[in-house]
Amino acid sequence: MTGTLIAQSLVNGVVLGMTYVLVAIGFTLIFGIMRMVNFAHGEFYMLGAFVTFFAFAHYQIPFIVSLGIAAVLIGALGMLIERVIFRPFRGNELNGMIAALGLAIIIQNVALIAWGADPRPVPSVVTGILKLGPLIFPWSRLYVIAAAAVIVALFYIVITYTSLGRAMRAVAQDTEIALVQGIRAERIYPFAFGLSVALAALAGGLMGPVFGVSPAVGLAPMLKAFIVVIIGGLGSVSGALLGGLLLGIVESFASTFLGATVSDFLLLGLVMAILIFRPWGLMGVKEA
Amino acid sequence: MSQTQTPDMPAASHAPAPTEQRAIWLRFAVVACLVATFPFITSSQYYLHVAILVLINSTFAMSLSVIARTGQLSLCHAGFASVGGYISALGAMHLGIPPVFGVVIGGVVAGLVALPLGWIILKLRGVYFVLVTFTFGQMLTLLAIDAQSITEGANGIVGVPPIRLFGYAFTDRISYFYLAGAFAALVFLFSWRLLNAPAGRNFTCVEENLQLAESTGIDTRKTQVVAFVVGSAIAGMGGAMMTHYIRYISPDSFTFWTSVAFITMMVVGGRWALAGPFIGALIITPLPEILRATGGLQHIIYGAILILVLQFLPDGVASIGQRLRAFRKGGRP
Repeated sequence: MTGTLIAQSLVNGVVLGMTYVLVAIGFTLIFGIMRMVNFAHGEFYMLGAFVTFFAFAHYQIPFIVSLGIAAVLIGALGMLIERVIFRPFRGNELNGMIAALGLAIIIQNVALIAWGADPRPVPSVVTGILKLGPLIFPWSRLYVIAAAAVIVALFYIVITYTSLGRAMRAVAQDTEIALVQGIRAERIYPFAFGLSVALAALAGGLMGPVFGVSPAVGLAPMLKAFIVVIIGGLGSVSGALLGGLLLGIVESFASTFLGATVSDFLLLGLVMAILIFRPWGLMGVKEA
Repeated sequence: MSQTQTPDMPAASHAPAPTEQRAIWLRFAVVACLVATFPFITSSQYYLHVAILVLINSTFAMSLSVIARTGQLSLCHAGFASVGGYISALGAMHLGIPPVFGVVIGGVVAGLVALPLGWIILKLRGVYFVLVTFTFGQMLTLLAIDAQSITEGANGIVGVPPIRLFGYAFTDRISYFYLAGAFAALVFLFSWRLLNAPAGRNFTCVEENLQLAESTGIDTRKTQVVAFVVGSAIAGMGGAMMTHYIRYISPDSFTFWTSVAFITMMVVGGRWALAGPFIGALIITPLPEILRATGGLQHIIYGAILILVLQFLPDGVASIGQRLRAFRKGGRP
């Protein structure tokens, strides 16, 4: 019995953790490259969930293709928003952050008007369970883990091996040196922003069948993304990966064995402890 | 401590010169008189209600700008308001503490919560600070929902007693309007004197140039903690004032979006002008009411105003006068 519970918690934790990873990677990527805290990040997650929902449930498009549509649409929207709204705030962290709050208000209320406040259930993508001896895993959860792992792997390939990815990393490490090397940072920013919000949209789309979709679904993953980047280190992609999985698993175990309230406060304690002893996060680099 | 300001210290540009003090007193008196005549102009309960909200909101924006003077943006300002509101409401209902003292106690408790938090997190700069205050604000909301035996959970506390002074209960709108006005005036005067005092001038030094401030002997961390605690304590008192006016408090009374609204007021009004937070509260508080005719668009317009003001008037509406003057002189602001 306990064994099943532990295994169940582990799978749930990894599912949660993978979502956090997807949301937090984009969040931390924008910060690393643009020095900007995107408070609207959760809203792109929500938009991704809705686009996937409409494509999959209404137009009967296969789920994978629906996800792709969401990523492309939301990514393009992100590039546009970066050009129109965020460009004037380059180099001003505080004002850029407040502008992102304004953007979050706009997106959320557009969604409210367009789609209403009621949560909508999303039909399951896969059904059935996987039995491994006494352990039972629903395929729907394993599917999320596998899909998220593929997305993270693709992201890793893009960021490591393509010239665009290399340029992004160069700008993140040192914008001036990157400029000297002939990388036009201004050209990189929209792509980085688009890629980042596309990841959030993918996370939203993936989690739709698990949690349902509504205009309010964005805030919780964004809060978790904040915690993840504090744990992992702001601007660190590997930190987001580690922090996201850690957070998901800790949260799942704590809420199964200690209750949701204790779990939430445990997280606050974890965040505070890391901030006191390692304010730059587990994988981040200490800033001078 | 002695003020060792170098001539090129940019801090001076934001701090009002001593000669301006009389002008500020004068303007304050004029505005106070104008505000005081408001109940004579209209007898509409609805307008009075909005006016009371403007006055209380101006104290939130003002206290937030005290924190912002040290270069930190707090996203749990509404969280501290809810701490003050809950403490005062529960104290009045369970312990029989008169709400007049409850408001003060609520502020003190909010300040006491802010003190250890500030001490831990204020060594964090800019973005990290914002992230932690955001997280902490969410935790406060969770606490209000989960601690059902004390806070009645998501249902909230109904029937919070009104503020009483010498046997007089502030239950009608006109009397509460003057009470809120007096509170806002006190907060304004306190913030002004604080920002003008040597300790307050340190705030601006810390914001403008941390290293320089530190090298002139300012304890930057202490300065930021003081600003955070004072600002949060005022927010706690404001939250209690709001709770005793609405006579109800729930986890939805002060959320993350309330904090965002306070930030909006501060930014739209102007972060650096003393009158900025008041102007911001005056513009932003009635905005949803004015825009109600537009259907659901009000929040969208609200967000758009925030972004547009940030882009085209980064120092807020309060800087329009300055800009016009500079424009007339032919120079750039």
